[in-house]
Amino acid sequence: MKLSSGEEVADVRIEGDSALLDNRRVTFEVSRRDGRLEAIRIGQDVFRIRVAREKERVFVWCAGEVREFLRAGRRSARMVEAAGGLAAPMPGRVRRIVAKAGSSVARGDVILILEAMKMEHAIRAPRAGTVEKIFHAEGDLVEAGAVLAAIG
Amino acid sequence: MIRSLLIANRGEIAVRVARTALEMGIEPVGVYAEGDAGAFHVGRMARAVSLGSGTPLETYLSIPRILDAAREARADALHPGYGFLSENPAFARAVEKAGLTWVGPPPSAMEQMGDKLAARRRARRAGVPIVPGTDESDTDAAAIAKKAGELGFPVLVKPSAGGGGKGMKLVEKPEGLPRALEEARRLAEAAFGDSRVYLEKLLERPRHIEFQIFGDQQGNVVHLFERECSVQRRHQKIVEETPSCALDAQLRTAMGRAAVEVSRAVGYVGAGTVEFLLDERRNFYFLEMNTRLQVEHPITEETLGLDLVRAQIEVADGAALAPAWRAGKVLPQGHAIELRLYAEDPATFLPRSGRVLAFELPSGPGVRVDAGVEEGSSVGLDYDPLLAKLIVSAPDRGSCIARARRALEDWVVLGVGTNKALLSEVIDSKEFVSGYYATDFVPRLTLASSRIPDAAWIAAALSFSDSNAEAVPAVLAEPWDAITGWRSGR
Repeated sequence: MKLSSGEEVADVRIEGDSALLDNRRVTFEVSRRDGRLEAIRIGQDVFRIRVAREKERVFVWCAGEVREFLRAGRRSARMVEAAGGLAAPMPGRVRRIVAKAGSSVARGDVILILEAMKMEHAIRAPRAGTVEKIFHAEGDLVEAGAVLAAIG
Repeated sequence: MIRSLLIANRGEIAVRVARTALEMGIEPVGVYAEGDAGAFHVGRMARAVSLGSGTPLETYLSIPRILDAAREARADALHPGYGFLSENPAFARAVEKAGLTWVGPPPSAMEQMGDKLAARRRARRAGVPIVPGTDESDTDAAAIAKKAGELGFPVLVKPSAGGGGKGMKLVEKPEGLPRALEEARRLAEAAFGDSRVYLEKLLERPRHIEFQIFGDQQGNVVHLFERECSVQRRHQKIVEETPSCALDAQLRTAMGRAAVEVSRAVGYVGAGTVEFLLDERRNFYFLEMNTRLQVEHPITEETLGLDLVRAQIEVADGAALAPAWRAGKVLPQGHAIELRLYAEDPATFLPRSGRVLAFELPSGPGVRVDAGVEEGSSVGLDYDPLLAKLIVSAPDRGSCIARARRALEDWVVLGVGTNKALLSEVIDSKEFVSGYYATDFVPRLTLASSRIPDAAWIAAALSFSDSNAEAVPAVLAEPWDAITGWRSGR
């Protein structure tokens, strides 16, 4: 499977007691407690591990650092934008809708105001076009990555 | 005699106050907004009272609802924590009027320090240097421009009713002044209902150093040494330490004395913090006073071996400061560092919400965690993003930094993005280790992304596979985690 974490991407295939990491074979053993992954041993190195999964995201604590992994190919905010949409960069509440559906906007125009952690964030048009639809009403709570508007 | 204490707050500080109350044989009573009924702090109380449903403004920030809760719970004292209503003199008055003991400073002292212009005048009258700037809220544009020219650009336009960097504007050149004044006045009116603003000269690379002070109702005021708070991002402190590397005995004595003088001038009682800026030539200036317990109070507790919340409650109940405090015999031992864990995107620093899926605390000698969440807690967007504080102490600064690094690595927080990587970056940086850093230090840090270990990729792939019914390696028959000599895989 293709996985990504931040800017990094890797193809990881688990084959019994070894893994193919971008076609590099790594032999490993796992230790579990009550079915939960506790550690991975690679050669003589032991890595204490904690994992937690939430829908399409996996969080891994390993070697003192926490990282988030996504299955590559899943919809990211960047991909929504590439498709002409506008995605929420973070979870929050739609505070105010500034641009009306049907109106034309220039690149950088404010489409709506998202409020999170008591701060207001202006969500701007990634490019010029027409606001085809706004998918949320003022006061709606939205998840990170939620499609907020379609710009044609 | 206080028997039952209403804690008008949530998160880690509510839990922190409840712990001390329990140790003193006082019943801690919590409050919660309806959406917060399952929050971590609620379960740490002897009892908890609902504030009803609604926004923070209608719950934790509502004076009538908090007072109703105190009446309903038959509490005889109230601790405000920090944030929310803690620095609101009208609230303090209402609490006292309702017949409760207010665990905080006199409302008059809160009022004088809450108005930053009045606080500057007070400090100057007490003989304490203040950051060069204006003492009056002038509205004459020409007079302000003239004053700004005398101070020298860049200058800061600050709201008198603000504090903590809220609502201030940086002005680089004279042309920008009129617009900045207009905007700052408008923002101040909207945020605080008070449009008065004043000018302050922008100090180059200042350090932000504060002194803990403590007063009692008998008129004693002492200082309990400093906290170095220069590790900030966007005026938000993220790492604090004590003692500060910037102070020697002479400067510490001078600043401590100034902090006590400022506090005495307003008849201060209870725990308070006097904030100073220290410039590169080691001149110090009064910045403001926070009339409440600070987020970073635990580092003072760790180096002095005392409980500031206990002292707050005792002083509110009428006790005098302990003789050892008054005699200046409470002296710091060793070093302490606090690291604040915030819910935020590790790369973009934007706020993050979610559910805490795993939360394992570091432990060992000199390691303390004041947390406001646990495994399963949901982190919303309505409240302060501070999840927990890691406080480490050790005999000297070097071993304290090493301990902070080890404890930070051991800390498992999964499910919500945090600033953990940034905290590691700070304590690993040459500047922090050297001890010679100022408030411009964090913005200059670059987040180096370390190579992702193979084991992390494998763990992620295993987790994704678990429910995808792909090949999963069999559980080892003989778990080797019983073998001694565990090696960190780093």
